[in-house]
Amino acid sequence: MSDFLLETKNLTVRFGGLTAVEGLDFQVKKGQIVGLIGPNGAGKTTVFNMITGVIPPTEGEIFFKGSGIVGVRPDRIARRGLSRTFQNIRLFEKISALENIVITLQREPGYSLVEAFLRTKKVREIDTEIQKRAYDYLELVGLREYADSVAGSLPYGLQRRLEIARALATEPELLLLDEPAAGMNNEECDSLIDLIRNIHEKKGITIVLIEHHTDVVVNLSDEIYVLNLGKLLAHGDPHAVQTNEDVIRAYLGQGRKNK
Amino acid sequence: MQYFGSVLTLAGINMIMVIGLAVLVGYTGLFSMGHAGFMMIGAYTAVIFYKYLGVPFAVCILLSGVFSVIIGLVIGYPTMRSRLTGDQFAIAMMGFGEAIRMIVSNTEPVFNGALGISGFPKLTSLWVVTLLVALGLILMFNFIKSAYGKNCIAVREQEIAAEIMGVDIVKTKVIALAVSAFYVGVGGALFAFYMTFISPAMIAASKSSDLLAGVVFGGMGSISGPAIAGGALAILPEILRAFSTWRLVIYGVLFVVVMLFKPEGLLGYREISFKPVIRFFGRLFGKKTAAESVKTDNRNGGDADE
Ligand SMILES: Nc1ncnc2c1ncn2[C@@H]1O[C@H](COP(=O)(O)OP(=O)(O)OP(=O)(O)O)[C@@H](O)[C@H]1O
Ligand SMILES: [Mg+2]
Repeated sequence: MSDFLLETKNLTVRFGGLTAVEGLDFQVKKGQIVGLIGPNGAGKTTVFNMITGVIPPTEGEIFFKGSGIVGVRPDRIARRGLSRTFQNIRLFEKISALENIVITLQREPGYSLVEAFLRTKKVREIDTEIQKRAYDYLELVGLREYADSVAGSLPYGLQRRLEIARALATEPELLLLDEPAAGMNNEECDSLIDLIRNIHEKKGITIVLIEHHTDVVVNLSDEIYVLNLGKLLAHGDPHAVQTNEDVIRAYLGQGRKNK
Repeated sequence: MQYFGSVLTLAGINMIMVIGLAVLVGYTGLFSMGHAGFMMIGAYTAVIFYKYLGVPFAVCILLSGVFSVIIGLVIGYPTMRSRLTGDQFAIAMMGFGEAIRMIVSNTEPVFNGALGISGFPKLTSLWVVTLLVALGLILMFNFIKSAYGKNCIAVREQEIAAEIMGVDIVKTKVIALAVSAFYVGVGGALFAFYMTFISPAMIAASKSSDLLAGVVFGGMGSISGPAIAGGALAILPEILRAFSTWRLVIYGVLFVVVMLFKPEGLLGYREISFKPVIRFFGRLFGKKTAAESVKTDNRNGGDADE
C-alpha cells in the first residue's frame, strides 16, 4: 500500500508518432496542493485526461486511493472522488449557472424512474434540498447572484469559477484544476488564489494545479512538477524549482509564454 | 363535425409520439430517423394481443409501450455502448426502422405480410386520445424535471464534461431511447385502433421524418413546443393537400438548415409559459423583478468581456 492519494507509474501516451507524455512518475499526498507546470504542449492537460479516464495511456499505471484506475470509465472514476475543470471551458452552456450545479448534484438520481415520472413526494423533497445545496456551492465561489444567468453568457472569469463550483459539487477528494487563472488579470488572480486556498483548507480537498501564472502556482503549491516535451524536467518545492537551471532554460526557450 | 373529430384524434396521436421523441432528440441531442419502427412495433403488438389473444384494449396499449421499450433496449444498449457518434446513431436508427418494416412485410404467419391485419374494432376515440395526451404531457414534464431528465440535458450540452462529473452517459442515452420508444409505441397502438386496419405501408419510413419534424419545428429543449408542432403537423396535410405532397421536401430542407444553423430548433429552448404574460402585466404596473435586473446586468457584463 502506498500512502499517496494519487500516483502514476511510468505513465506514457503516444498519439501516432508523437509521444505526448513519457514515463511520468507523479505522486500526490493527501492534503497537498501540487503544481504541474511546463511550456505549451508539454503534456500537462494530457496527464489530466489520462487521470480522469478520457484518454487511455499507452503504457503505465495510475492509482487513486490505492487502486488502479486505468481502463475505468470516466464517470466511475468521478464517483470515486476525483473531479476536474477544463482548460477550454466545458460548461453546460445553454442552461443557468444554478442548473449546472443541480445537474451535477443529481448525477446519480436518488430515486427510481417510476418515481421520477410520478414526481412523488420523495422526488419533490430531494429537489428542494438539492436546490438549496446548489446555492451553497454558488455562494462558495461568489456566484450566488448569477444563479439564474445562462452559464455561457457569463464573463470567462466567472465561467471558470462556475466550473470550480461544479467540480466541487461532485464532492471530490482530489480536484484537478487546468489553468483556472487563464485570461485573468492580477486582481482576479489574487481572488482566485484566495478561493483555491479556501477550498483546500475548509473542505480538505487535495489539489493538482496546472497554471501558467507563476504567481499563482508558487503561491499555492507545496510541491511543483515541471514537464517539458512530455518528460519530467524537475520536481521539488517551489523555490528549488524556480532556481533550477533546466527549468529556466526550458521556459526561456519558449520565450516565457504567459497565456 | 365528425371530420373535425377525426383530424383532432390523429393530431393527438401524433402529439403523443412527438413528445416522446422530444426526449431523445431535443433533450438528449440524439437524432433518430427511424422511430416509425417503434410505431410499427406498437401497432402490431396491440393488434396481435387484442385480436389473437383477447387481451383488453387498455392492456394492449400498455403492452405496446412495453414491447417497444424492450426492442429499444435490445438495439439501444449495444449502439450506445459502442459510442456511435450522433450521425452514426441517426443512420443506425434509420436502418432499424427499415429492418422492422421489412420483417413485418415479409412475415406471413401472424403478421400477414404486406397485406396487414384487419377485422378489429375502432377503439381509439377522441376522448381516449385526449386523456392520454394529458397524461403523457404530465408524466413527461415530471420526467424532464427529474434527475433523469437533467442527465439528458447534461449529455446534450457537454457530453465529456457530463461524464467527468459522474453522469452515466450510456445509461442516460438508453433511458432516453426507451422513453421515446414507449411513447411512440403507444402512439402506434392508438393509430392502429383508430384506422381498424394495419399494414406495413401505412407506417412508411417518411413517418419517421414526420415525427422528427415535430421536434425540430417545436424546439429542441421543450416539450410543449413539440406537442403543439406535432398536433399542427398532423392537421396541416388535412387542410392543405399541397402540404401533404410537398412536406417531405420541406422537412428535408428544414433538417439540413436546422442542423447547420440553428441546432436548438426553430423555436429554441422554450417552454410555452405564462411568465411573459405575468411579466407584461408586471411592467404595466412599473415593477421590475429582482431576478430580471440581475439578468440584464450580467448580460451587459458578458458583452463587455467578449
Ligand atoms: N487527443 C489527442 N490526439 C493527438 N494529439 C494530442 C491529443 N491531445 C494532446 N495532443 C498533443 O499532445 C501534446 C501535449 O498537449 P497538451 O494539451 O497536454 O499540452 P499542455 O501542456 O496542456 O499545453 P498548454 O499549456 O498549451 O495547455 C500536444 O502536442 C498536443 O497537440
Ligand atoms: Mg493544457
